[in-house]
Amino acid sequence: MAWYNTVGTASDTVISSRVRLARNLVGYPFASKLDAAGANEIIEKVSVPLEAAGFRKINFSDISPVMATSYVERHYVSPDFATKETPHALLLQETGGIAVMVCEEDHLRIQSILSGLELEEAYRNAMRVEKRLDEDFDFAYSEQLGYLTHCPTNLGTGMRASVMMFLPALTAGGYMDSLAAQLSKIGLTVRGLFGEGSGAAGCMYQISNQITLGITEEETLKKLKDAVSQIIESERKARASITGESLERLTDRVKRAEGALRYAYRMSSAEFIKLFADVRFGIALGVITDITYEQLGTLLVEAMPATLTLSSENAPKTEAARDRLRAQKIQNILSAQG
Amino acid sequence: MKLMLCEKCKKRAATVFYNENINGKTRSYSLCGECAAKLREKGELQDITSMIGSFADPFSKLHDDFFGGFFGIPARISSTDTKKCPECGTTFREIADGGKVGCPTCYTTFGDELSDLIRSVHGTTAHTGRVPSRHRAKQERTEKLNALREELKAAIGNEEYEKAASLRDEIHKLEAENGKGAI
Repeated sequence: MAWYNTVGTASDTVISSRVRLARNLVGYPFASKLDAAGANEIIEKVSVPLEAAGFRKINFSDISPVMATSYVERHYVSPDFATKETPHALLLQETGGIAVMVCEEDHLRIQSILSGLELEEAYRNAMRVEKRLDEDFDFAYSEQLGYLTHCPTNLGTGMRASVMMFLPALTAGGYMDSLAAQLSKIGLTVRGLFGEGSGAAGCMYQISNQITLGITEEETLKKLKDAVSQIIESERKARASITGESLERLTDRVKRAEGALRYAYRMSSAEFIKLFADVRFGIALGVITDITYEQLGTLLVEAMPATLTLSSENAPKTEAARDRLRAQKIQNILSAQG
Repeated sequence: MKLMLCEKCKKRAATVFYNENINGKTRSYSLCGECAAKLREKGELQDITSMIGSFADPFSKLHDDFFGGFFGIPARISSTDTKKCPECGTTFREIADGGKVGCPTCYTTFGDELSDLIRSVHGTTAHTGRVPSRHRAKQERTEKLNALREELKAAIGNEEYEKAASLRDEIHKLEAENGKGAI
């Protein structure tokens, strides 16, 4: 089962956890200096052990742009990877959300994404694949700088760990800026999930480590997890402080959001994200009881433009047709038994 | 462009410039990489994100300052500009412009030039953490060697010459196994 159809721990405040490891093979230049022949060679080489281990190989030169974008929406590849012109491939094992991007910025980006707060499990998943590849390949490494990467910002462990958090109460309370400033002091970064710079739509934020050199993998995970645990506590406290008239107004809002998700005839993706956040908040507050986190997790992928388009036999030709299709899709998923 | 020295040590060229705004009062710093790192460790300099603006492209601002600080001569004719990586042909100018190196060897070729940048980003230039299987035996030998060299020093200090001789043999053996030019 794909990671986004499952529910993990601390799902009231955490959407997903992700760990990715950057690795490069000795004997080849980095991506900007790598020619098509070299890229194809790397893809061929690393596919052998991974396909034998049950990974599915998706050659991105062979798939349509809408299919490529759908992999972005499922968080298996980066937006840059989807639009790259030189040869690149994805090796995917949906159980455990394990995706290996071959010839992205680094030769290998080994990652695991899981629902909920599951950093250690995501790390173990990614490391298991890394260890398998370490048996067959010589990774670019120096004792001084650790794993050598295309961009010096990834030197050292080459590891980026991140947690996607859902923080509606802290957002409403105006705490996100000061939180971001505090996190940056301890080497962590905050980004909005949708549209950088435009504020975080859907109250979703990705918290990740900035530094990869001079800190071990375990220390990085612990630092991130400690920070995330504190944020979870603050968000829960902020939620609990909503009472009386404020709670009634909020209840009215989330119930209306549920109504719109269930009964709208057309739904744009911007409106969906806003309603999604309200309904998710409603579940956390115990106000909405007949929609599950699993259903919402599925929606957060299936209602996105490319994945939505792919799910229909007749690809919608206009925006209005796509918005109609989205409304239908949401209703189907919400009316299915969770 | 004039030569600008680090305002702290007044010895090395300033390569890190930034403005700090506290309660409406602006102060600008011109520091060399080493002094900037020291101040950061002490917490007197704000963390790197505020210094370089956007972390997404940490090199965009830094590299301008990097060249600007080089003895006040246009970067076009500085020696780092003509130096090329023997492996992939990348120049330091390309690295500074794109924020990315061309191949693993670039890190050796431009080791000196990159160390300030790396320290600015990570606060250190020394890796700790996982080691690839192919390097593990070598790394263990290196660690053992360092310990043995310390022991040897102590043995000589204590005039335990017999022990020192056997330590030296052991060191030579490990050095031979590790080969020369260890990374």
